[in-house]
Amino acid sequence: MTIDIEAARAAAPARPFDVRRLSRKAALHGTMILLSLVAVLPIYWMVATSLRPANDIFSSSLWPSAPSPENYRLVLESLPMFRMLANTVVMAAATAALQVLTGLLAAYALTRWRFRFSGTVHALIALSWLVPFQVTMIPNYVLATRLGLLDTLTGLVVPNAAAAFAVLILYNAMKSFPREVIEAARMDGAKHWRILWEIVTPNLRAAIASLAVLAFISAWNEYFWPLLLSRKIENSVVQIGLQMFMAQEGNLWGALMAAATLASLPILVIYLILQRQVIESFMKSGLK
Amino acid sequence: MTTIAITGPGSAADGLPVAPRALAFTARAAVPWLYLAPVLLILAVWVYLPLIEAFQLSFYKWNMLPTAPKTFVGLENYQRLMTLPDMRRALWNTLFYILGLLPLSVVLPLAVAILTQDLAGPLRNVYRTLIFLPMIVAPVVAAILWRWLLNEDHGLVNHALSGLGFDKIGFLIDRDYALGTLVWITGWKLIGFSTLLFSAANAGINRSYVEAARMDGASAWQIIRDIRLPLLSPTILLITMMTILFGAQWSFVYINVLTNGGPLKSTTNVFFLLWEYGFETLAAGLSSAAGMIVFTGFALIAFICLKLMRRYSFHDN
Repeated sequence: MTIDIEAARAAAPARPFDVRRLSRKAALHGTMILLSLVAVLPIYWMVATSLRPANDIFSSSLWPSAPSPENYRLVLESLPMFRMLANTVVMAAATAALQVLTGLLAAYALTRWRFRFSGTVHALIALSWLVPFQVTMIPNYVLATRLGLLDTLTGLVVPNAAAAFAVLILYNAMKSFPREVIEAARMDGAKHWRILWEIVTPNLRAAIASLAVLAFISAWNEYFWPLLLSRKIENSVVQIGLQMFMAQEGNLWGALMAAATLASLPILVIYLILQRQVIESFMKSGLK
Repeated sequence: MTTIAITGPGSAADGLPVAPRALAFTARAAVPWLYLAPVLLILAVWVYLPLIEAFQLSFYKWNMLPTAPKTFVGLENYQRLMTLPDMRRALWNTLFYILGLLPLSVVLPLAVAILTQDLAGPLRNVYRTLIFLPMIVAPVVAAILWRWLLNEDHGLVNHALSGLGFDKIGFLIDRDYALGTLVWITGWKLIGFSTLLFSAANAGINRSYVEAARMDGASAWQIIRDIRLPLLSPTILLITMMTILFGAQWSFVYINVLTNGGPLKSTTNVFFLLWEYGFETLAAGLSSAAGMIVFTGFALIAFICLKLMRRYSFHDN
């Protein structure tokens, strides 16, 4: 019955003057175009402003009348931009790699063995996202100071080397991995260590890739912990550099937008290349 | 299934060929813990032990200097929080942040997702790509670009407002607008993302329910109310819960970068208050006490939310 209706509807030729249908379609696209504009216009305006020369900065024309790299030159002269970008790449890549690594190990233990307290461990890992960072920041800061981690990239990475959502995503992926394959490998005398790295991990490539992308972007955008640890601008990450630049040169709008554009560029490039995967990995992991 | 593997013949290959039975048993029991060690160690050192330390600190007075002594003051920090107006105001503002975010993270995206469900064709992916974009923009970048768009004298928004004949608005410096502005910036990142989550859930609804209702003569609104919304309830509750639990945390960056809690404390929420007490006035004890209240409060809310979700989510079996 359903199929008949669907087929009939699809087969019915759209009458040229079907006003209701057309206006409905227009409303649909209108809504989506409006939403897209709300999302993209601010970002577009950032890029457009960054290309305006000083005398054109307050203009509200959509495209700069004479695009110039002036603002970018200014940013590169006054900020160690490349140094900070390199720091951020290293920090975000290390964080993502470690979250995947520690997540794989923990998820393997939780899916492979049933042992005493495994339920408790699972709960402790899952509940850790309920602890707001602002609540533990003082002891964390004191500990980082004592360990000599202030103003270092290691200090930015270590507390984030494990993440609840990484463990949970990999746990779910491993749970759906066929048990028979592992049992067969066990029968052949393979050790757990080998099973994890040579059988399970290669088969979880999709989950690992999406987790890594997600962790990289989250680490790239991280602000609060770097804010506590950073001292010198050349040792810090781009988010802190941006914040410092804004505090000093808050009204150099062109340069500020150029700095913000440079800080977003790597993420935007990743997004353009892997948009489907990025969207899916964000949607799978929820909001945090 | 798991137990078979553990007690099966294969487990002799765990690397302990001739160990005495008891030792082999403990060693085998230790294996899962070795795999879990990195995650547990990091969570213990950077989340759970600090949580306990913060609890202890909440009974002390300390200015965070390593050389300065910590003095035990009992419940004084908690009492001070009750009497100072800061905490009350911050709690109210936190509530406003959350209530303000819900239309942007739940109501609007849900409406758009249902309204645009028939959207097909190549443009669909273009829209998807565009509306998701704010989600990956760094909060600091979002703060800076909105600071520019909303600038009182030269910002695009005020240009448009005066073009339409309205007065200019000091979005970030007028106490009547500042909180709403920060809510909007926080929500701006979420609208598209939420819309995609709702769209995915909506597309997952079995079409035969909708067709059956339509044949029974149900109106479009009845279909939405009696079929779509109940089937979307798990997603609705999930996003609502996320917004309640984390909404105020997401706005922290914008408060810190854009208003510093002002004007006249109108944008301070509890998470910013913790930061202010801790790192601006260096009152570690007070900050920790406030932190304990916040943590307990949100943990309680999370617990209630999970209970409610379990009870009220309607699942399509």
